[in-house]
Amino acid sequence: MKEVISMWKNTRMIILTALSAAIYAAFLIVFKGGIVIVPGITEIRPANVFPPVFGLLFGPAGAWGAAIGNTIGDLFGGTIGPGSIFGFFGNFFLGFIPYKMWGATWGLVKKGDMAPNVNNVQKIIAFEIVAFVAAAACAIVIAWYLDLTQIVPFAFLALVITFNNFLASIVVGPILLALLYPRVKRWGLIWTDIMDKGDVAAGFAKGIGAILAVVGAVGGLIFGVLVAVGAAGQQAFGFAGESGKAAVWLAVLPFLIALIVASFMLSGQEQFEEEED
Amino acid sequence: MESELYLDYGTPYHRLDARTKLIVFLGVFVGALMFKNPIWQLPTAALVLLQVAVSRSWRNLYRIRFVLLVMSVSSIILWNFFSSGTTPLFWIFEVESMFYAINRTMTILMIVSMGVVLISTTRNEELIMGMIRMGLPYRVGFAVSTSLRLVPTVASSLMTISQAQRSRGLDLETGNIVDRLKKFLPLLVPVFISSIRNTNIFGMALESRGFGARPDRTYYLQMRMRATDWVLLALLLLYVAASIWLNIAGYGRIVGLTNF
Repeated sequence: MKEVISMWKNTRMIILTALSAAIYAAFLIVFKGGIVIVPGITEIRPANVFPPVFGLLFGPAGAWGAAIGNTIGDLFGGTIGPGSIFGFFGNFFLGFIPYKMWGATWGLVKKGDMAPNVNNVQKIIAFEIVAFVAAAACAIVIAWYLDLTQIVPFAFLALVITFNNFLASIVVGPILLALLYPRVKRWGLIWTDIMDKGDVAAGFAKGIGAILAVVGAVGGLIFGVLVAVGAAGQQAFGFAGESGKAAVWLAVLPFLIALIVASFMLSGQEQFEEEED
Repeated sequence: MESELYLDYGTPYHRLDARTKLIVFLGVFVGALMFKNPIWQLPTAALVLLQVAVSRSWRNLYRIRFVLLVMSVSSIILWNFFSSGTTPLFWIFEVESMFYAINRTMTILMIVSMGVVLISTTRNEELIMGMIRMGLPYRVGFAVSTSLRLVPTVASSLMTISQAQRSRGLDLETGNIVDRLKKFLPLLVPVFISSIRNTNIFGMALESRGFGARPDRTYYLQMRMRATDWVLLALLLLYVAASIWLNIAGYGRIVGLTNF
């Protein structure tokens, strides 16, 4: 997590944060009037392809950009509300998980070719894995909080957000990354080209950290939905049962903690190896 | 989308300190979430309307009328499905769920209106200076300020590129959801490229002016809380405290409502 703070001393990372936020917010606002899923909470969001791509290209600047951009999108798009608080953190994870997990995808992204592009099948698979874990992480953070505050039931919202986030990523994400990477690289704006390796968290037991991130995000989603459907009588893809039940809250909490612990275990430093070799 | 949402009117609301306006925004935000019964929302709605009138922010609200209309209609309909009651109204709707849907719609409209009042009466630099004075690190404040400033520009370029691509035959309205998402690519890439390409020049321009040279910095813009600010904050404190107390005491609920 060190780089999440240390990036603020780098002018270009600050600018990339602002630009990422502005692009994400602009797309969110323009498409706010589209297909509403829950009024004041969420809608079909094609712009959700941006955070994982921003995260991979701009690292922590992409993560901050997603968080700030979502809040600005809420403010100008009319969905600012209690959900916006954890919407900030959820969207942060949507940009944060991809770059942290990219170099720890169990050999899919090989040492010596860790550039955030999709020039082979393994990297495409790696992209889809990190995008899905990020989508689920974002979903459980927001849905857990909105269930706790008795606004929207966990089972419904967690699945809707995961699906909403991941759909854009799976369809458009790899193509977008393939088109943008060469240009961003040429301009010297890939985050590993801007930041110093020493400013990035070293992490520890990164393989286990990646597994813990998957368990925290995907496990939290599955276990949380099962508990919500069972103990609180909620419906997947429907509004029924009870929200604000301690069973749901307690069931998801350990997974959220696992996600935070994984964030400290994962590094991102390994993506600097390519240049050193 | 026009690039400037600030309205240079010089009303009493414009003259308030940015910190006061930010705290008022947050206070009304909290107050608006305290009640489920729309009748209990009326005082807050009146307060919001008063601020819109005093600050003369109607113009910006009028600009986003289409978004507000779509949100209001979808909110009134959908929140009925997301709640239930005991007294039938018509078809599948109940009186309690309709009350709840109206309340949710009012809440959304009030919070959006407060956001519009805030950005219509506060210059970008004042808003960020207010946040910095409230403890936000200035580098983060700069990023937020820059993105706020750039959103209308990016949105405007998105609209231009969208029209250009449509004139070349891009059809965003047909096809299933996957097809439609794929069709967004010709919009995503040019907007991204045109926004990001000048990052290095932007960075050099900032650093040549000493940005980031020291941990702290001084500001040309000076802000000062006046008596009006303190009086308004005192009234806001009373309003928020009363709203919270009434909520805890069980007022403003809808009897017979089941919501999630």
